[in-house]
Amino acid sequence: MFRLNTVQKIIIFSILILWAIANIFPLGVMVISGFKSTREIFLAPFSLPSKWSFDSYKEAWTVANFSVYFKNSIIVTLVSITFTLFISSMAAYVLARFEFPGRRAIYLFILAGLVLPVRLAILPIFLLIRNMGLNNTLFSLFIVYTAGGISFSTFLLTNFFKTIPMDIEDAARIDGASYFRVYWKIHLPLLRPALATVTVFNFIRVWNDFFFPLIFINDNAKKTIPLGIQNFFGEYAIKWDLLFAGLNIAVIPIIIFFIILSKQFIGGLTEGAIK
Amino acid sequence: MSAKKLFQKHNYLILIIPALLLYTVFIAYPFFSSLFLSFFKWPGIGPKIFVGLDNYKNVLTGYMSREFYRALGHNFYFFFLNWVLSVVPGMILAFSLAAGLRGSDFFKTLFFIPNTLSIIIVGFLWALLLNPQWGMINQILKSIGLDSIAKAWLGDTKLALPTIIVITGWRGMGFYVLTFLAAIVGIDRSMLEAGRIDGATESQMLFRLILPQMVPIITTITILKIIWSFNIFDIVYAMEGTQGGPAGSTDVLGTLFYRIAFGGLGSSQVGMGLGATVVTLIFFIVFPVSVLYIYIVEKRELKG
Repeated sequence: MFRLNTVQKIIIFSILILWAIANIFPLGVMVISGFKSTREIFLAPFSLPSKWSFDSYKEAWTVANFSVYFKNSIIVTLVSITFTLFISSMAAYVLARFEFPGRRAIYLFILAGLVLPVRLAILPIFLLIRNMGLNNTLFSLFIVYTAGGISFSTFLLTNFFKTIPMDIEDAARIDGASYFRVYWKIHLPLLRPALATVTVFNFIRVWNDFFFPLIFINDNAKKTIPLGIQNFFGEYAIKWDLLFAGLNIAVIPIIIFFIILSKQFIGGLTEGAIK
Repeated sequence: MSAKKLFQKHNYLILIIPALLLYTVFIAYPFFSSLFLSFFKWPGIGPKIFVGLDNYKNVLTGYMSREFYRALGHNFYFFFLNWVLSVVPGMILAFSLAAGLRGSDFFKTLFFIPNTLSIIIVGFLWALLLNPQWGMINQILKSIGLDSIAKAWLGDTKLALPTIIVITGWRGMGFYVLTFLAAIVGIDRSMLEAGRIDGATESQMLFRLILPQMVPIITTITILKIIWSFNIFDIVYAMEGTQGGPAGSTDVLGTLFYRIAFGGLGSSQVGMGLGATVVTLIFFIVFPVSVLYIYIVEKRELKG
């Protein structure tokens, strides 16, 4: 787009490198500090650990309950995403493929949830969950995360559905397949790339959420990582080795997950997830 | 047409029921129910007492008003500073990536990583890094002789909110860079070619031809930022607690609401009705902007 001379290229590259350092430095300090003793973190904050030790990880994992938080986060994320994908893709199929009275109104109704922050409705949601006797259960989180993911996922998948040619399913319908069968056997496999994008978005949203567990969950055995970490920072405030190890346990799965799927995800983001 | 008939004729509609049901019960209905609650006095159990507009009076002109306007002001401040800190560097970085130099894919992935981390974790991490005594940031400043600016970043009433906004900007940057980059890649090439043939200079190209085409994405980002800025909670909670310390200098509507509705530490005014009032007021700020957003998305979709 621009014709750049060498000096301009050097300036541009320096800008990129500077921001890369602003990212790598804090994250690097975090990762490395997890392998040090508190004393070493305080006295030699920037050196590599004199001895790479996993003790802080072991302690965070067992004593500080991280194994429980981790397990809960995995369960909540997997269940919520499965439901979100299933429910939203069915809705998207109907919205994209059929013309019926009220279609546009329903579409706009669901679209409204795309930007209205769910947490503004937290009080009635909290009361609903409480009246159903679901507070302090992982079930409360399955419900709000699935419901909260419907707008975005349905929106993205509806757009994707529209790119699939119509004649495929006409043939199947003539052969007598039910709508559900057409959706399940024909569309879902074609939808795979879009489902991957939706999965990554939802994974990040659910895995990282702090607000809903804060409102719904008191019981230590039911906490997810973001809420667990808050406990942990209160309890071990001066044991920085443990704190950094805990942060690492919390972030490493999501960073790995993101790097593996980054191509898919960045593709999704740059191809019209945000307009 | 009755619902029954509609279903007989369009039996595929059964597939949209789960989404519609869950969304209506747990998202749409609560928004309205919240408005309803704001006319009552209710500590969360026992009977609700109808109080008309009393909650609104208390929040807007009564005993809650000082805290409310202070928090509201902080939300606005958050929006403006965060906007500047995201859009300007975000554009610069996006254009730098658009140059297509070696390593661009690596930079894209790296820049997005902070965005994948939980806000609460980013807050805790930076609270450690910014610790006045042992934090790595002040240690660096001191080691290069800048002792005078090695401040108690989160403990100073003037510095705490800007610091939190900078950290929020740090986390969010990757999102803005990639979104802007997508817009830059989508720029109409033929127009640029025409400009070049007409002998436009590089700065004319940038300011006359390229930046005007960035207006739609900047509009979108601005709208989203307004909505997000009135919903901040986690980052303040992680770095300054529910009181929005020091001395309320980082208190925002989110933390104020949390204290009122769920009784954060040290607060005695637990009230669902009053909390619902604060949320409804936030809703009135956010709703028109959301409608505008959906209107824009729809319009662009119809265009293709």
